[in-house]
Amino acid sequence: MATTSTTTAKTVPDSIVQNKYSKDRKVGEGTYAVVYLGNQVSTKRRIAIKEIKTGIFKDGLDMSAIREVKYLQELKHPNVIELVDVFSTTNNLNLVLEFLPCDLEVLIKDTSIVFKSSDIKSWLLMTLRGIHHCHRNFILHRDLKPNNLLLAPDGQLKIADFGLARSLGNPNEDLSSNVVTRWYRSPELLFGARHYTGAVDIWSIGIIFAELMLRTPYLPGKDDVDQLDVTFRALGTPTEQIWPNVSSLPMYNALRVYPPPSRQELRNRFSAATEKALDLLISMTQLDPSRRCDSTQALLHEFFTENPRPTEPENLPKKKEKVKSEDELDESNKRRKI
Amino acid sequence: MSVGTEIKREAEENVEQPEAKKKRISNDDLFRRSTQFEIWSYTQESLDKTKRAANAAGAKIATQKFNETFETIEKEQPEVFQTHNETLNKDKLLTLLSFEEEAKYLNYYTQNIIPIAKFFKMPTQVKLTAVSFFRKFYLSNSVMQYHPKNIMYTSVFLAAKSENYFISIDSFIKALKDTEAKDILDLEFIILQSLQFTLLVHHAFRPLYGFFLDFQAVLLHPSPLMYDVSVNTLGSLYDKAKTWLNDNVVLSEVAFLFTPPQIALAAMYEVDKRITDRYLKRKFLKEHHELDAIKEEDSGVKKEDSEVIEKIESTESVENGEDKKDGENETANEHKEKSTVESQREQYETLVRTIRKCIKIAKQVQTSSREEVKEIDRKCFYALNPKRLIEKQVKKVTKEATTS
Repeated sequence: MATTSTTTAKTVPDSIVQNKYSKDRKVGEGTYAVVYLGNQVSTKRRIAIKEIKTGIFKDGLDMSAIREVKYLQELKHPNVIELVDVFSTTNNLNLVLEFLPCDLEVLIKDTSIVFKSSDIKSWLLMTLRGIHHCHRNFILHRDLKPNNLLLAPDGQLKIADFGLARSLGNPNEDLSSNVVTRWYRSPELLFGARHYTGAVDIWSIGIIFAELMLRTPYLPGKDDVDQLDVTFRALGTPTEQIWPNVSSLPMYNALRVYPPPSRQELRNRFSAATEKALDLLISMTQLDPSRRCDSTQALLHEFFTENPRPTEPENLPKKKEKVKSEDELDESNKRRKI
Repeated sequence: MSVGTEIKREAEENVEQPEAKKKRISNDDLFRRSTQFEIWSYTQESLDKTKRAANAAGAKIATQKFNETFETIEKEQPEVFQTHNETLNKDKLLTLLSFEEEAKYLNYYTQNIIPIAKFFKMPTQVKLTAVSFFRKFYLSNSVMQYHPKNIMYTSVFLAAKSENYFISIDSFIKALKDTEAKDILDLEFIILQSLQFTLLVHHAFRPLYGFFLDFQAVLLHPSPLMYDVSVNTLGSLYDKAKTWLNDNVVLSEVAFLFTPPQIALAAMYEVDKRITDRYLKRKFLKEHHELDAIKEEDSGVKKEDSEVIEKIESTESVENGEDKKDGENETANEHKEKSTVESQREQYETLVRTIRKCIKIAKQVQTSSREEVKEIDRKCFYALNPKRLIEKQVKKVTKEATTS
């Protein structure tokens, strides 16, 4: 990281930045950052620069920005977004990220694209590899959803947005249960658990897996209460029998007790899934987090070795290259959360 | 091999032709890719060199500032400087902190982080990270550029955020004397830059907990190995080791010189050498522990503190040890058997040497007397504010001149 190796606490003048990276155009603006597309001048590589505003918040550097820098500095993996560089300009913190033009949500919503089962397998595999790398570094992502799974031009899937991530494994530490976008939130989080593990990410991936097969969100709760209902209607209400001590969780409620779905019901719902695919889905969406598979078990699952083999990333479906006006491009980029 | 390819292999193992056993990524491999290893690990020599360079750079900046100030004031009242040229000269007035003084001063402020963290009821993790940020800041800066007081406060404030223990700036400064929100917020970014934007710090407490669990697994199961060691013995060893880490390691520089598991083992070794050594032997000299039981008495005492020490080395061989075992071929011939014994022995001895070195350095924490710190504090103030120093002297000599 060349620009970060300055030994004194001096700000890099803007001109140097301009020499190293070009900021071509602004593609989005959020509460704490502005995102530009540009190029790394020396390599002509396309990059995105996330300019984090500092000095505008009452409490100094924003927590999401701190988390993002903290974790992305440590995670180098083909399936995790690459933090190319970090530098500072007058009063701003700049994260140089690899340029990722598309995300999985865009593809799921584009009904003109057909997903083959080998495509789904490939995306799932890449997601699991990425999260496995996070988990073995004791990092929880806590906000996995199709919109945070970005796609590189060569088809590689990259986990992005570490603004909610945190370290795992310090005993006796309370964690917040108010994490993960609602539809992808695991039952232990819905019940307000203060101690949880990488299983929350595995749940999210299970739900994304289901969404890839259904081409529509699997558990779209309208609000937090409805989320419990939607979740348990699909997967059964957790009881003490299948999840010991579940009733001691702070927000446990089992007002409506739904029976767990039969294998046949799941087969009907996921009509294109093979038996192995269903096995893996069931394993990733176990209500009891201790029964849910972890990333290693998921990666070793026979689903990945049975035919068809996962599609090579470069052959995966891509966003249709329509001739888009600049405005439309800006719109689609803006939708992506920053 | 890159980390990324490993999982691919795991997943595709059955599809590809069964080649030679694939190497798995160990925790050691992962640690070597962390910023803590890549940027913040030193040898004793390189650490000293870095700190000396920071002190020298600070002295240069302070000297420059002093000279400019001196010349400005001299221009304003040249007669005074001419008549009192004996006292009012650059060489005599310039006040800098020596390398040793700066080190003592920084130790003093590092110690002060502990009561601050305690006051805000911050978890150990925050305290340790704050100490780490503070020390790292002064590897590239000097107290002659940035006074440590607000750097210390800001380190605590930033560490709290980084470790998910958010505290608002208002409630933070409310508890501090003569420090304003701006003082801290202005420095936050400067500290982040000095940290080279790396915030994740691995501490020894997590591996310590891991060793506590593994000691139980190795020493108590399937049946207790030592007649006087029970879960309670190990529990108290764990508690004492935690205390030792808090009392010694927090203030020492071992975090720059050793890996967290090495430091954790050092704590356990210092608290109970007998149990820890038994664990290490059992773990490293695995295949030959029956033999070892006999040798145990004399082997522990022979090679004492030889000064050989490598930079961060093979503690994680605890994990490696396991991988290796998997890879061993059952049908190893005798020669191989012998070299395995030797390499295990070597690994064990290196580890014990490393641990001892770590303990030794951890114990070297020097504390300074109140008077000494006060004197350094005065010097530091003048190094940072040469104007005050020179004006004070000018006042002094003119006053003497009028009274005499």
